[in-house]
Amino acid sequence: MDAASVIPTLRAKDYKSDVVPVWCPGCGHFGVLSAVTKALAYLKLPKERVALISGIGCSARLPAYVGAYGFHGVHGRALPLAAGLKAARPDLTVLVAGGDGDGFSIGGNHFLHACRRNMDMAYIVMDNEVYGMTKGQASPTTRPDWAKSKLTPHGTGIRPFQPAAIALAAGASFIARGYSGDPGGLTRLIVEAIEHPGFGFLHVLSPCRTFRPEQSDWKHQVHRSDKGPTDDPAEAAHSIQADDGMTLGLLYARRLPVWQPDNRATATTADLEGAFVV
Amino acid sequence: MSDRLSQRIESVAELLVHALELEHQSAECYRQLAQALAVHHNHAAAALFGLLADMSDARASAVMARAEGVSLPEIAPWDFKWPAAGSPQIDCDHVEISYLMTPLQALEVCLDKETLGREFYVLVASESPAAGVRVLAAEMAEERRERVELILTWIRGERGVATRVPEDLDPPNLPG
Repeated sequence: MDAASVIPTLRAKDYKSDVVPVWCPGCGHFGVLSAVTKALAYLKLPKERVALISGIGCSARLPAYVGAYGFHGVHGRALPLAAGLKAARPDLTVLVAGGDGDGFSIGGNHFLHACRRNMDMAYIVMDNEVYGMTKGQASPTTRPDWAKSKLTPHGTGIRPFQPAAIALAAGASFIARGYSGDPGGLTRLIVEAIEHPGFGFLHVLSPCRTFRPEQSDWKHQVHRSDKGPTDDPAEAAHSIQADDGMTLGLLYARRLPVWQPDNRATATTADLEGAFVV
Repeated sequence: MSDRLSQRIESVAELLVHALELEHQSAECYRQLAQALAVHHNHAAAALFGLLADMSDARASAVMARAEGVSLPEIAPWDFKWPAAGSPQIDCDHVEISYLMTPLQALEVCLDKETLGREFYVLVASESPAAGVRVLAAEMAEERRERVELILTWIRGERGVATRVPEDLDPPNLPG
């Protein structure tokens, strides 16, 4: 451990905004917010060089609570918004935040193509297996036998979406899983996702206290991987398919070409105006 | 919480950084709960967490004063030597936290957090190979014990009054 000043340029709390979160007391998303601010402080990123983009949902409120640039977009469209921003401003550190409904249902198509496009950004999905903002309906990751919603009183009967396996199949270059109750480990994964050159997909288990109180047991179910990350997609496919969905850590990381459009100007404004003259 | 540290704390400077982090996280966690409960109109429980947040801020200032002139190491968030994942301050998931919690339940959460914090210092005081660290950790454990005692006093007082369960103005849309 190197001796240095205890006061870094900015502390984690300096990355928080003045907006008071409206999440329920005990919500797992508080742990994610804390980990995001710690990661930004650890990386010493200037606030004006960071942008958080989100869609809709409880988790999508995250950008409001971070004192960097933010954009609270429309449902399921956080990833294309972020892609547009990164295309125009490759100098920015772009983080995307959302939940399991926003990311895997409404925005499911964008998720697939963001994985294969591999733009340099980090995507943090806070998965609580429920639509909380609309008061408790089954989401894509809900188990088929969850019968605690008035809309699905006998459960959905549908096998849940498998985020890590689908990300891998869609060509993602970085797949990790964290837990909001493990802020140190989650902070490290966020740092790694930001530092990864390409699309860093971070699946975060983040319990919903109000609609899924039984998820407090996740604390006893999560466990660390007994092996390190692999860069072999076949090996990753095998371990992710065999996994119980509660393994924490970096599961897969591989260097793949990062897509970034060439932003060099090919025409002047006068050229463009000339093209539109009737 | 585990009954062992993930690694032993070997210097006073390292202990001070852990103490600072513990108090900062404590203040942050209490303040988050206070704000979230206020948003949900549970002002009685919010006031208690707000008070504990202020007390943790004061403790952080005291640790900073004690650290004056000491060259403190910078520790990555995941390299702290807590006995469990996260700091003892956030390791309270087994306690029910709800927007409908009563003042008594709020105090029980505080008691749990303060007890875990005290246990951390007790572990350091018994496991560190450095005599100076053991002495300072024992002092900090004693200070934490005083806070635990204070909260226990409040709990006894709260048990003596009628339970104040907040009204649920917007109940979850779950089958009865």
